[in-house]
Amino acid sequence: MRFSALKRDERAGYEGHIVPASSLLEVAKALRDEDGFDLLSSVTAVDYLTDNEEEESFFEVVYHLYKSTGGGAEVLRVQVPRENPVVPSLVELYPGADFQEREAWDLMGIKFEGHPDLRRILMWEGFAGHPLRKDWKEVYFEEEAKPFGNRWPGGQVYRVEDQNPYGKNNQYPDGFDPESWVETEDPLLYENLEKAAREYTEDIDTEQVVVNLGPQHPSTHGVFRMAVRLDGETIVALKPVMGYLHRNHEKIGERNTYIMNMPFTDRLDYLASMSNNFGYALAVEKLMGDKVAPPERAEYLRVIMAELTRISNHLWAIGFLLNDLGAFFTPALYAIEERELILDIFEATAGSRMMCNYFRFGGVARDLPAGILPRMKDLVNERLPRKIDELDLYLSENELVRSRGEGVGIITPEDAIAFSATGPVLRASGVPYDIRRADPYSIYDRFKFDVAVRYHGDVYDRYMIRVDEMRQSLRILKQALKDLPEGEILTGHNPYQVRVPAGEAYGRVEGPKGELGYYIVSNGKPSPWRYHVRAPSFINLTILEKMCVGQKVADVVVNLGSIDIVLGEVDR
Amino acid sequence: MQIETALLIEWVVKSTILIFALLTGFAYTTFYERRLLALIQVRIGPNRTGPFGFLQPAADGLKLIFKEELIPANAYKFVFILAPILTVIPALIIMAVVPWGGAIELFGRQIALGLTDINVAILYLLSVASISVYGIVLAGWSSDNKYAMMGGLRSSAQMLSYELSLGLAFVVPILLAGSMSLNQIIEAQRGVWFIFYQPIAALVFYIAMLAEVNRAPFDMPEAEQELTAGYHTEYSGMKFSLFFMGEYMKMIAVSAIFATLFLGGYRGPFVDTYPLLGPLYLFLKVFLSLGLMIWIRATLPRLRYDRLMAFGWKILLPLSILNVFVTAVIIVVFGL
Repeated sequence: MRFSALKRDERAGYEGHIVPASSLLEVAKALRDEDGFDLLSSVTAVDYLTDNEEEESFFEVVYHLYKSTGGGAEVLRVQVPRENPVVPSLVELYPGADFQEREAWDLMGIKFEGHPDLRRILMWEGFAGHPLRKDWKEVYFEEEAKPFGNRWPGGQVYRVEDQNPYGKNNQYPDGFDPESWVETEDPLLYENLEKAAREYTEDIDTEQVVVNLGPQHPSTHGVFRMAVRLDGETIVALKPVMGYLHRNHEKIGERNTYIMNMPFTDRLDYLASMSNNFGYALAVEKLMGDKVAPPERAEYLRVIMAELTRISNHLWAIGFLLNDLGAFFTPALYAIEERELILDIFEATAGSRMMCNYFRFGGVARDLPAGILPRMKDLVNERLPRKIDELDLYLSENELVRSRGEGVGIITPEDAIAFSATGPVLRASGVPYDIRRADPYSIYDRFKFDVAVRYHGDVYDRYMIRVDEMRQSLRILKQALKDLPEGEILTGHNPYQVRVPAGEAYGRVEGPKGELGYYIVSNGKPSPWRYHVRAPSFINLTILEKMCVGQKVADVVVNLGSIDIVLGEVDR
Repeated sequence: MQIETALLIEWVVKSTILIFALLTGFAYTTFYERRLLALIQVRIGPNRTGPFGFLQPAADGLKLIFKEELIPANAYKFVFILAPILTVIPALIIMAVVPWGGAIELFGRQIALGLTDINVAILYLLSVASISVYGIVLAGWSSDNKYAMMGGLRSSAQMLSYELSLGLAFVVPILLAGSMSLNQIIEAQRGVWFIFYQPIAALVFYIAMLAEVNRAPFDMPEAEQELTAGYHTEYSGMKFSLFFMGEYMKMIAVSAIFATLFLGGYRGPFVDTYPLLGPLYLFLKVFLSLGLMIWIRATLPRLRYDRLMAFGWKILLPLSILNVFVTAVIIVVFGL
């Protein structure tokens, strides 16, 4: 590396470079402009708290940078002291860092200097402290790691709240009164909304109205809120507000043992649990090394399940996008009919339709039951291609769909990359970036398929790209089902506890909604030291504001639908 | 004096029948809509309450009566309560001028099937139809809710712009029949229905009528995806169901008017010999027209609000003006 400031990370099991906070901006700029690392995939922080007197405790902010043309990662780390952790913000260089830095501030308490809008994002304003710090203990804290000790000592039931060492440590920030606080009068949010609105000028001097779309709203796909300023029907400013479904997935994940997190990932994007499993399994397998390399048949089963998940997710996404356009449930219900058939296969194989919990480190949990393979072949070769063609025939050329979708919510390719958009949102803007090709994992390099790409970056293209992707997934499925070998499905036995050597790993897959990444730091103990999820629907929302400003109210709903979010994953 | 009393009784009986028919019609239109939608959407629909789910509307009504009625603290109470009434009343009285059959002989009296036959029936229809927009605007304005406000504003703009085309579409049957009385218009369709003479006017009328009753794809004022429930966001219980009632009764009413103007009204085979077939034919035509409305709702996405206004002013209005002009010229030139 050209920079004298850069230091290779020497710790065992780590890769990348350590950058002093003072030169982070300079290094990132050079990496972006000269080396082409233009896609900031993930920003997160790790709390290296130690009881050992000789070692120093510190926070580490970890950046994963990729090239939008494909290839491996450049990992940058900034280490800052635990007292007063300040890191320069990358929002100027990578606008996609916006929400992720806010998340790191919210959950870990890292101050990002120069961030335009550093507010809490997942927790609420009345929350004291930063929960992902290792010295933060929740209300009714029990123990550091699961499995918790015997809850029935001597066969006696006792109440957890009587036993915990920290008691009811419920706190509020200084000067915060939960009784008088009203969410819809949150000054921080509205000041920012005001600021954005001031830049908007109109010839006619009209009064602008602030409307809160959500959190209880029929078309935000869950409890998601958009505070918008309206001039008539035109959006002047928009701020997304999320976290209503927040359960601190990562904190719970750091208490769980490695295998306990597998079913827990199902709950992120509950429409695509197989993909969630896939990413997590990849990350942990990277840490565990070759001894858990999955056998051939398991690799094929993984790909088959992941691609079926993609199809079922896109069917759902298209159905509900049409619903957002005002088509009263008919396309959605036809799409769901096909999705049910895919879920039947999941149920037969994994035992559950949605919370599949199917992947294990080194393979998959169960083999295909007898008689399911012909059904899968029939579905993939006969029924689904026909039904997808039918969907395409009835919807794609519909006059109203075209007029509502074309030219609405345009994202330029430059913006899409800068805002860290991934998945269909990025590819609909003309960037053919698909991790299955750009940075192949599992056995995707064996299959013939095209990276679907569309060039207008509008709502209609984001709809069309999902149709294209379903067709490509069918191509992969046809090949995988034809070549599916016999044999083992799991390396070794199915363990209750895995030994994970110390180190870090970032496992990412091309999920149906975008790049789904898991950043895991192990210190050799049974539970991960740090477990971070790079949630695609959360990060794809960063660009929502830019998409919507200047458009009509009706388009906001459609734009949101075309990003395809699942609140379980956004809020985690 | 004797005759006057009999006439009074006749009117009261006919009005009662009409109102009951509309109320029952409203209830079963919701049922019809739910079952037909379900059929289109590969679902089953309500089939548990009574045989084939026929008691479902009764159960729904009962449920709505027992719902809590909420009035927002900052609402303008008087207007808030007035608004649903203003929506329902026009929907109830609009059917008064629509004939449902010829005349029958009962108790030694000639009784016309139809409440009244006034010679300016069309003007009556237009004026009554536009009253109901007040209900929606006032509901939106008095609720003290931004969604409701926007819904109310949208609907007033939408209804005003589509009323023009609707009015012009009314003109064509008037020209063809040479009368504003609905009975005369039906008589004029004795041979061929006006829809075959004037398909464009019928199409314009149907589109404008969808907009007038806020049905998909013109259900802007209550666009669920954007405005939650639009102007009736804050309404609950029976007040909500009054809006619901108003909407569905208006659907029935405009379908009946459409049938009268373009589909020959109650006319059909043997209706001259058996006048009681008249209401049946009218019912069938209304049933089909309602089915078409439901089908459209199940099939089409919603237009965006600005495109909807543009469509109304830039396409529908010029088209209907042109149509009226051409029709008038043809009638004058060929002396039809």
